[in-house]
Amino acid sequence: MFSSILSADVRGITGVPILVETDISDGLPGLTMVGYLTSAVKESADRVRTALKNTGIPMPPKKITINLSPADTKKEGTGFDLAIAVSMMCSLGIFPQEWVEKILFLGELGLDGTIKKIRGVLPMVELARTQGCKVCFLPKENLMEGQIVEGICCIGVGTLRETMNRIIQRDYKENQTEDQLEETIEEEQPDFVQIRGQESVKQAAKLAAAGRLNLLMIGPPGSGKTMIARRIPTILPPMTREESLEVTKIYSVCGLLSKEGKLMTDRPFRAPHHTISVSAMVGGGRKPMPGEISLSNHGCMFLDEITEVPRNVLESLRQPLEDKVVQISRVSGNDIFPANTMLVAAMNPCKCGYYPDMNKCHCNARDIYRYLNKISMPFIDRMDLCVEAPRIAFEELTGTELGQTSAQIREEVISAHQMQLERYQGSGYRFNSDVKGADMEEYFRVGKTQKKILEDAFERLNLTARSYHKILKVARTAADLAGSQEIETSHILQAICYRNVDRKFWAV
Amino acid sequence: MKNDNKELPEGIRYIRKGDKEFPEKMLELYDCPEGIYVKGSLPNPEKKTVAIVGARMCSAYGRATASYFARELAANDVQIISGLALGIDGAAHQGALLAGGATFGVLAGGVDICYPRGNIELYTKMTGQSGIISEEACGCPPIAKLFPKRNRIISVLSDLVLVVEARQRSGSLITADFAMEHGRDIFAVPGRLDDELSKGCNELIFQGAGLAISPERVLEILGKRNKKSDNFKKYVQNVLAREENMVYSCLSLHPQGLEELCKHTQLSMIAVMEAITLLQLRGMVKEIGRNRYIKES
Repeated sequence: MFSSILSADVRGITGVPILVETDISDGLPGLTMVGYLTSAVKESADRVRTALKNTGIPMPPKKITINLSPADTKKEGTGFDLAIAVSMMCSLGIFPQEWVEKILFLGELGLDGTIKKIRGVLPMVELARTQGCKVCFLPKENLMEGQIVEGICCIGVGTLRETMNRIIQRDYKENQTEDQLEETIEEEQPDFVQIRGQESVKQAAKLAAAGRLNLLMIGPPGSGKTMIARRIPTILPPMTREESLEVTKIYSVCGLLSKEGKLMTDRPFRAPHHTISVSAMVGGGRKPMPGEISLSNHGCMFLDEITEVPRNVLESLRQPLEDKVVQISRVSGNDIFPANTMLVAAMNPCKCGYYPDMNKCHCNARDIYRYLNKISMPFIDRMDLCVEAPRIAFEELTGTELGQTSAQIREEVISAHQMQLERYQGSGYRFNSDVKGADMEEYFRVGKTQKKILEDAFERLNLTARSYHKILKVARTAADLAGSQEIETSHILQAICYRNVDRKFWAV
Repeated sequence: MKNDNKELPEGIRYIRKGDKEFPEKMLELYDCPEGIYVKGSLPNPEKKTVAIVGARMCSAYGRATASYFARELAANDVQIISGLALGIDGAAHQGALLAGGATFGVLAGGVDICYPRGNIELYTKMTGQSGIISEEACGCPPIAKLFPKRNRIISVLSDLVLVVEARQRSGSLITADFAMEHGRDIFAVPGRLDDELSKGCNELIFQGAGLAISPERVLEILGKRNKKSDNFKKYVQNVLAREENMVYSCLSLHPQGLEELCKHTQLSMIAVMEAITLLQLRGMVKEIGRNRYIKES
């Protein structure tokens, strides 16, 4: 008897339907699996056979053929086990095919029939909904994750027997997830109020968060660059539902969701170590997985000591930072991962870290040149804001003056975001950082006086066309933060102060 | 060292010991070279010559001071000689050129090789009444052991040696030692006791070098009446807005960051940022590193 059951796989961060077809017929007893399978999928035959036996369903001495369709795409992973088992049960006549139409089955089987959790449930359940499924069986542990998708009934099952009983009784009620009492441990959360001094860096961080701009901090060791970077997530506004879904999908594909598998509401913050490889940064592998830049999608990525990051890794970031997506090409096809991140980078001004404090710095001109040469100019060019994090004087560390709290800054950032969303309505842009090319002239219009200042700056400070546009972007963000519709002189001056560095700064 | 002028690259001359043009002062050297290579001119023997030397990795203050002394001296018809190195040397040449004076760079390698490459702009500007000098043949690479030898030429060609910033055991102190040998006056710019870059200078002063408190005093020693250079721009502070004025008055030749300026002026961070950018656009302030500012001198 023939049966076919819907299962799914993940490509990039979207689900693709996979049909599991089983046919049991007379012939030489045996089990064959076809459909361009990797060994993890081929081994599924043994898992399913044993799990069925241990559930009380013996294998008949017949010829069993299993096909995973479409048969020309490579299939990986263990998520098809449950679908294969259900398909076998259907072919054995335990229940008719009509009972399992339009139902998605996901899950890995243990030999005793238990169903184990898998990766990438969220995009696959979403696929099921778009395919018109009403019901979806998935591992109990992945239930919360599946329930994120609205408009489909998710059933979390623990064993193969439970699955079978549910199908036979046609009991397709969504099981309730017990709302676990959230135990929030009250620990001191990082907050901008804990940082004394560093007003200029804090202002730059605020601007970066408001316009989703890339920030570069330069300063001696111990000046608080890392402390500030770690507090940037606390001033980012909450995600919209679409953003949350996209971020949760990426984490789902990577198997990085928390145990409860809830929808992620906090913007991700990633701080990869500087020894990171290219594939870990932008994504890779034979079956491409998202890298750090995609994991920080809609959030923030902090790269400490960027001069120590391998050059090829930095270069690989250039294209995603510009296009906000990563495209990974393999023989089997292209995968596109979102990479809309805000990059915060930190570095020392020289090898020993103290230049231009000549009492402490013992580098010679060539040392400094070599140190800075580790970062390419095109990469530096992608940073919108650049600020010095100075060494903090003792009085400031012990002073009683408190700055703004993260919550206060966040309010300002949220209203700046609001202004941008209103301005860019219908244009396809969302934030100042997205605006490109000719649209800059339109959205970043400045008055006569401001134009004059920009002209002066262009000549006296030897700006390039690119840095000129960055200044406009930052100035527009400063205006948004101030709640001003027009870019005013003050905003332009601030932006010039935070303009990008060029090699000349270190000309010794 | 048999070198015919015809074989030399364009613009470079070889001057033999016996030639009329050969600087008489060079003969004071017990190991006087057989000849020297010149690109541009040689120092005018009728005019006074001051050597300004110092650290390559100098502070912004050192660079500004070297440039200031060179400018003031050059404006009073004093020729400035140095080693065309980065830092103090370069600033001294630059200062002299700004005042329209003559300045000479003595290289360790051949005169056709600009070392360091970073000073190529200066190197090309030092023609006409200025010049590049070396005792090594064209094409000779500037290797380490040639540098002390070059220092002795800087010293012997000058009437007075001024050390601006030098660490302990700095190469500039070698020049000062030669100056002592050649009987030249030695002056040093004093610094704070805890300043690593002034330890060498302070040591020189302790040993009896002159205290270079101003270009005027150095001119007096050279027997010259001081005439103020008109190149030195005096900015009219009263055109500035109040905030700009407050920020400007806090600035010095020692680089300061935004935080410090904020603290000293008691202005808000944004006000300081605006003021400093405006001052920069007026050309009154120089940013010598990310958000580190000095007064433009």
